[in-house]
Amino acid sequence: MSGKVRILTSLVVIAIVVAALGVWIIRGPGPLDFAGGTKVALADYRAGKPTGVPAKLEKASLVERGEYLAKAADCMVCHTSPGGKEYSGGLGFKLPFGTLYSTNITPDKDTGIGNYSDQDFLNAVQRGTRHDGARLYPAMPYTSYTYMTDDDVLAVKAYLFSLPAVRAKAPDNTLSFPFNQRWAMIFWSAVFNPDTRFTPDTSKSLEWNRGAYLAEALAHCGECHTPRNLGFALDNRKKFGGAITAGWRAFNISSDKATGLGNWRDEDLISYLSLGHAPGHGSASGPMGEAVDHSFSQFAPEDIRAVVTYLRSVPPVASPDLPATTAPVAPASHKDGVTANARGKQVFASACASCHGWSGESPVSPMATLTGTWAVNDPAATNVAQIVLSGTKRHTPDGALSMPAFGDAYSDDEIAAVANYVTARFGTKGSKLTAKDVAELREQTAE
Amino acid sequence: MLMATTLTINGETKSFDAPPEMPLLWVLRDILGMTGTKFGCGIAQCGACTVHVDGKAVRSCVLPVSAVANRAITTIEAVGNTPSGAKVQKAWLDLEVIQCGYCQSGQIMAAAALLATTSHPDDSDIDAAMAGNICRCGTYVRIREAIKQAANGRQS
Repeated sequence: MSGKVRILTSLVVIAIVVAALGVWIIRGPGPLDFAGGTKVALADYRAGKPTGVPAKLEKASLVERGEYLAKAADCMVCHTSPGGKEYSGGLGFKLPFGTLYSTNITPDKDTGIGNYSDQDFLNAVQRGTRHDGARLYPAMPYTSYTYMTDDDVLAVKAYLFSLPAVRAKAPDNTLSFPFNQRWAMIFWSAVFNPDTRFTPDTSKSLEWNRGAYLAEALAHCGECHTPRNLGFALDNRKKFGGAITAGWRAFNISSDKATGLGNWRDEDLISYLSLGHAPGHGSASGPMGEAVDHSFSQFAPEDIRAVVTYLRSVPPVASPDLPATTAPVAPASHKDGVTANARGKQVFASACASCHGWSGESPVSPMATLTGTWAVNDPAATNVAQIVLSGTKRHTPDGALSMPAFGDAYSDDEIAAVANYVTARFGTKGSKLTAKDVAELREQTAE
Repeated sequence: MLMATTLTINGETKSFDAPPEMPLLWVLRDILGMTGTKFGCGIAQCGACTVHVDGKAVRSCVLPVSAVANRAITTIEAVGNTPSGAKVQKAWLDLEVIQCGYCQSGQIMAAAALLATTSHPDDSDIDAAMAGNICRCGTYVRIREAIKQAANGRQS
């Protein structure tokens, strides 16, 4: 071998090693690596069954089991457009580089998944590959669903195929170059999709393993609550540390005492997940409100407890921009407390005070109490501005409770002013939103 | 789904069947025939539907009936039986506040709730309490005067 060839070969080897190291560093740990115990194949796990449906549905039909799992995986919320038929797709995800539309997953043969074989469906859900071989974008959380067992994925398919076929073609994506190059997702997938099924951890309880399966494979909590890395994949070094998704802030759900769930009591977590509200912690709205309405509220009680057990074990990650403790109740009189920001106060008096009160403790319903919520204690005021823009409608065992959307009634300037007033009055530190920030939030909301 | 519901309205117990998410305003107007409380915008932005729940002014158009069981509801039909309501109604008549009248039951309810907690409100108190009650006839100046008169007990 000549000297030149040798140098060239070494350079190529160095380049490959550097690239591999780079990929390895960016990719980071998997979602369950923090647990560190011994993993065994599901078939070799003897303590019980962490996958599938809860005991009460063990003998139910395949379709019924699939329905439970489809709800646990929250398929419907993303695969339904506002006012559209359930599962018929067309919801637009507004990304910085264009809009991506969800697909029709009803069994319609032309516009849905009616022609999918079992293997096609497994390929889509676990590997992000479409029936025609094209790649799915990771807005479809297949890097989470990949942990589902084949049996569970096919039960979901059986449920979807039991639904009425809806003829509905989603609008074409409007992604710009290079993001419109689907084939490039081959590389993304190769790096970021582990394409592996759930493996129980023998050092943990059956309940923990069930919770891990539900939270990671089905409910895909991390897709909103874990920050993303350079490759737009989940950065599990900051697992569950919170992130902005679709214009809403998904708060820290790690076990951090100050800014995560470390100080929540079990009953608070159970109540929040199953009812969308926990006293002193506020109510789920936006995407989490939908997750509660269509997914967590349908969980069997033992599955909710399993998720709670699992969440408790996730290592603490701090959110340095959040205060260590949330602000106490504000003064009952409008005259005390925040005095600056006359415009924000005026909007609050006109539109907010009759339901939320001047103290932040709602005269109407505990669900409308602002005191203690992360939304008003977030100095970025993201969710305060979002809920003012888009409102919320929550379903509870006692019926629905809603907040009107004020996005069409008030200007960006007024919404920024009231969000700044609300965070200053009811939170620890007032936000500094501008009309431009509010306009940007309007742009990011999925619709 | 209809549910048997019991509410305490103006001190009386009322029983009826209604879906739990039905707004209190609909119960008042359509089921109980108490039409003094008005439907304005239906989205808590105009104040025409204001009633008292445990003495506080709230918008009945967005308040599900399930949220107010076991709480004391007062409407325009009986607010005159409360000390502050009686004072407000008298001042309203004395100063002839009302023009078309559509918003006025809401205005009176909001003013009565204000005076019940703040016996001598200044302009900023009136702004804070009344800003959510809109009047398209523009009676705001007389409303402010009438609230002050009700507070001070002046006769015209």
